[in-house]
Amino acid sequence: MIALESLASCLQGIIPAWLYTCSRDGVPNAAILSHVDYVDSRHVALSFQFFNKSKRNVSENPKAMVRLLDPDAMKAYRLKLRFVRTETEGPIFESMRLRIEAIASYSGLKGIFKLLGADIYEVLSVDPIEYEPGLPGAPGGTKPEPPPPASVPFTMKALQEFSDRIHQAATLDCLLEAILETLEKIFGFRHSMILLATDRPDRLEMIACRGYPEGGVGSEVGFGEGIIGMVAEARKPIRVSGMLRHMLYADAVAKRAEARGLCPKDRRIPLPGLAHPETQLGIPLLARSELVGVLCIETDRTYRFHEEDRAYVEVLGGYLAIAIQNALLRERAEEGEEPPARPRPEGTPAAGPPGARAGLRPRIEVEYYASDECVLVGGEYLVRGLPAKILWKVLREHGADGGVEFTNRRLRLDKSLQLPAYKDNLESRLILLRRRLEERCPEIRIAPSGRGRFRLELGAKVALTERP
Amino acid sequence: MGTETPITVELAEFLQSGLAIVLATRDGDFQADGAVAWAAVVQEDRRRLRVFLHALAGKEMLRNLRSHPEIAVNFDKPTTHRACQVKGTFLSSRAARPSERAMVDRQVDGFASELEAIGIPRPMTAGWKTWPCSALEMTVTHVYEQTPGPGSGEPLR
Repeated sequence: MIALESLASCLQGIIPAWLYTCSRDGVPNAAILSHVDYVDSRHVALSFQFFNKSKRNVSENPKAMVRLLDPDAMKAYRLKLRFVRTETEGPIFESMRLRIEAIASYSGLKGIFKLLGADIYEVLSVDPIEYEPGLPGAPGGTKPEPPPPASVPFTMKALQEFSDRIHQAATLDCLLEAILETLEKIFGFRHSMILLATDRPDRLEMIACRGYPEGGVGSEVGFGEGIIGMVAEARKPIRVSGMLRHMLYADAVAKRAEARGLCPKDRRIPLPGLAHPETQLGIPLLARSELVGVLCIETDRTYRFHEEDRAYVEVLGGYLAIAIQNALLRERAEEGEEPPARPRPEGTPAAGPPGARAGLRPRIEVEYYASDECVLVGGEYLVRGLPAKILWKVLREHGADGGVEFTNRRLRLDKSLQLPAYKDNLESRLILLRRRLEERCPEIRIAPSGRGRFRLELGAKVALTERP
Repeated sequence: MGTETPITVELAEFLQSGLAIVLATRDGDFQADGAVAWAAVVQEDRRRLRVFLHALAGKEMLRNLRSHPEIAVNFDKPTTHRACQVKGTFLSSRAARPSERAMVDRQVDGFASELEAIGIPRPMTAGWKTWPCSALEMTVTHVYEQTPGPGSGEPLR
């Protein structure tokens, strides 16, 4: 029998499979399958999401057949199966559940499009299908070659190099940049983002991203929403290949569910980055059992992961979490003393003169909504929560005394900011604020000016309005 | 079967539009098997369906169908997942005629376009063996909704 392990590419859900079953009274049935999961060398798992004809058939007659297609060679295989049992817990079930629920939440189907069970089948035989030989081989082949699949990059050598580069990062800001840059340069992942836990429960906020022209720092994701939220909730890595096809499948379910009034419209949540990702991989950043954040990698081409990659990915996530947490602790420990003179020295401009940097607005209106802890600039949402409170405090103080130098320590001592006494993540909030300003309001800059210090730089006249 | 056919004119057009088509059969031990088909033609009375599949696939399916004529044919449009399943009884088989090749090619092309729209480029489908075909004829007894989601599996009327 052909080893199941040699069919790893077929078992990634990149191209749907077909399931053939037969009822007790001899009526055959064919059904499309979005994913066949590898269990071990003798078993596969199929998702049980609806009590459909296939499920009824295997309940009364355990014999089944699956047609699998190799997405690289387009060669087809026939797997003769025998239904063994349905699992409703355990690692196989959990891995399938997370993937399905991540897709479901993108389509507004959370709670409807869900895994009821992982049906475990014994594989009795694996045979190539003679009349579906796939693409001709290179020697003598006359047909065009398929695009080569992305190679699997998780090797010890690559991880070592990754680690070396990250060690060189002196600050949290540099570390975040180094992580994303290295993911591209060593592993070839051009689209990635890091989201960190916020001061609000069950929310993550994007603090750094790479490969997205429109940015997105400050975007929020709730636990359980999409692949990132599911990773945060379950604290397990999730990988989805063939995203477009999975989304189309889920959309078909959503349309029928909406038509029957089973789910409201407009519950969809946007994809976090690429409009049409082919693969998404979410990695929990866990340090000492604490969720520091989530690393999300996207590819716009099909990417092959293998079972052993999961272990590498989990090691990588743990390593990055500790590096981020250490950077936060180090910056707090080394933060600067209060500057001796807060008012600006005589003759020194309080900030850059209005219009000093090209393309800036000469005047901006900054509004702070106290009840929502939210800042708007020119009527457009900028930031909320702790970063909003920090920005408001800094701008007001500058307006009152012209001070431009601030320290993290001073912010920590300010009771109005209501920072938690333990693990306030102030440094990450400041990075988020700085990046958010760079993206959305370049007229205001908070530039690092030393360990635990930053300088306010204004490129426009700023009018402040506080609203309830 | 009554005088009504479950295949409407609109459904007939859909079935012939170039879709993912697979048929399922079974043997004497109730072991199901199946094969990809490349085209389907709804007969004028809309109570019979002719399915075209590679001759080697046809030979395999006929091993079951000659003794166990129950047959199911699933149609799925990859870009929307609109899908249905036609069930019926095998009637006869013959080699596809050269005059039918253009029709098969047209449906294969439609299916390849659907796949292209969901990210499977033409070079990936270039190795398909779509000819010579066997043409299997079946009666249509039932058509079931197969679009995923609530209501999947219900009879189409």
